[in-house]
Amino acid sequence: MARYGMVMDMRTCVGCQACMAACSAENQTPFWSDKFRTHVEDKEQGSFPDVRRVLLPRLCMHCENTPCLSACPTGATHMNDDGIVLVNSDRCIGCYACCIACPYDARYAYNGEDVKHGHELYGETVMHEVPHVDKCTFCVHRLADKLEPACASTCPTHSRIFGDLDDKSSEAHKLATSGKAHPLNEGLGTSPKVFYIPS
Amino acid sequence: MTFVHQEVWHWQIATYLFLGGLGGATFAISAVLHLFEGCDRKMLSVAVMSSIFFLVVGTIFLLADMLQPLKAIYALTNPRSWIFWGVVFINFYFIAAIAYVIPLLEEWPKLEPIIRKIPQLILGLLERYNNLAALGGSAAGFLVAIYTGLLISAAPAINFWNTPALPLLFVISGFSTGAAFLLLLSTFSKNEAAYKISAKLEQLDAVLIVTELIILGAYFNFAMFLPTGARASAEYLFQSPLFIGGFFVAGLLVPLAIETYSIFFGGHHHAEKKSSMPILVASSLVLFGGYLLRMYVLKAGMFQFPW
Ligand code: SF4
Ligand code: SF4
Repeated sequence: MARYGMVMDMRTCVGCQACMAACSAENQTPFWSDKFRTHVEDKEQGSFPDVRRVLLPRLCMHCENTPCLSACPTGATHMNDDGIVLVNSDRCIGCYACCIACPYDARYAYNGEDVKHGHELYGETVMHEVPHVDKCTFCVHRLADKLEPACASTCPTHSRIFGDLDDKSSEAHKLATSGKAHPLNEGLGTSPKVFYIPS
Repeated sequence: MTFVHQEVWHWQIATYLFLGGLGGATFAISAVLHLFEGCDRKMLSVAVMSSIFFLVVGTIFLLADMLQPLKAIYALTNPRSWIFWGVVFINFYFIAAIAYVIPLLEEWPKLEPIIRKIPQLILGLLERYNNLAALGGSAAGFLVAIYTGLLISAAPAINFWNTPALPLLFVISGFSTGAAFLLLLSTFSKNEAAYKISAKLEQLDAVLIVTELIILGAYFNFAMFLPTGARASAEYLFQSPLFIGGFFVAGLLVPLAIETYSIFFGGHHHAEKKSSMPILVASSLVLFGGYLLRMYVLKAGMFQFPW
C-alpha cells in the first residue's frame, strides 16, 4: 500500500505541453474534442511593469478528502488502496455530480461522440468503450508495471516528480515535506496529494 | 485565481430543479390543505395528478441529461451523495402521491372502470389510510423540494452555490410556485370551498414571496461581501436583464403587488365572485419567475480555480 502523489516544480516548467501529449497518447483522451486529463495553465501575474509569466501544470489532485467521491451516487468514483482516485466506467451514469463537486477542474465527459471517434481511431485497442466521466488515474496501469505516469516520465525538465509520499526515501516525499511545496487551495480541506513548488 | 462559468448543468437541469420544486411543493401544500382545511377533493385530485406529472417530466429531463440513463439504478449505491437521497425522496414521493390520489379519483365518474380494477382490499386500505398518505406526502413533497437545492449546493469551488441559503431559497421559491399553481387551479373550480381556499392560497403565496425576498437579500449580501466567485456570480446576475426584469420584478414584485392588493381590497368576503384575471396573471408570473430563478442560478454558477 502506497500513498502516491506528485510534486510540480513550477521553477522548471517551460510550458512545452509534452505531458499533455504523452497523457493523451497513453490514455486515449479525446484530444479531438480538446479534452485532456492534464493541462498546463499559462498565466500572467502582477500588473505592469511588474509582470511575469507563470506556468502551472495541473491534473487530478487525488484529494484525500475527496469531494468528487462523496458526490458520486453510484460508487463509480472510488479510491484504490494506493490513494488513487479512479472512475469505474461501467458503473458511471454520467450524472456530472462529480464534475460540479471537483474544485480543480480535473474531470470531463467522455461522451458518446468521443467513444465513437475513439473506436474509429483506435480500433481493437480502444480503451474507452462506454460514455463516462473521465479523469487522471496516475497511469495506474503503468504503476503495475513499475513505470511512472506517462506525464512524469515524459517531462523533459523533470518538473513532475512522482512517487510514494509515505516512502521517506522518495524524492516526492522529500520535496512535499520540505516546506517549499504546497497544495492548491488548501483552505478547502480537500488534502490534495499534488504539491507545487512556486516559481 | 480564475472564475469560470460552470459548463456542466444547463437548462435541462434547471427544468428538473423547477419541476421538482413545483411538484414537491404542490403535493405538500395539497396534503396540508386536505389535512387541516378540508378542500374540494376534485381539485385536490387534479393538483396531485399534476404534481406527479411534473415530477415525471422533471425526472425525464434529468435522465436525458445523463451519459448513461439506463444505468440510473446504480445511483442507489453511495448514501454520502445527495443524488442517492434524491432518488430515495422521489420514490417515497411517488409512492405517497399515488397512494394518496387513488381514493380521490373516485370523484371522477369516468375513471370508475379503472379504479374498480383495483382489488377492494387495497382500495379499502388506501381509503382508510388516506390521511396518513397525506401526512407522508407532505413530508415527501418537502424533501423533494429542498433536495433540488441541496443537490447543487454540494460544490466546494462554486461559492455562489455552496451555501445553506440556496436550499432555503429553492424550497421557499418551490413552495411559492406550488401555491401559485394551486391558486391557478382554484380559479377553475366552481366549488364554494375552492373559493375560500383560493383566498388562503393567495395569503400563503404573498407570505412566501416576502420570505423569498428576505432570503434573497441575505443571500446577495453574503455573495457581495467577499471577493470570491460568489461575488462574480452575483454581479453577473445583476447585469442580466432577464434575471432582474423577469425574475425579480415580474416574477416576485408584480405578483406580490397583485396579491397584496387582492388580499386587502379584493373583497373575498363579498358574495359575488371576483374576477379571476389578476390571480391568473399573478400565478403565471410566479411560475415563470420560479423557472427563471433556477435557470439563472445555474447559469451564474462559477468555479473559482486557484490558478
Ligand atoms: S482533484 Fe477533483 S477529481 Fe481529483 S480527487 Fe480531487 S475532487 Fe476528485
Ligand atoms: S458522473 Fe459518474 S463518476 Fe461522476 S458522480 Fe456521476 S456516476 Fe459518479
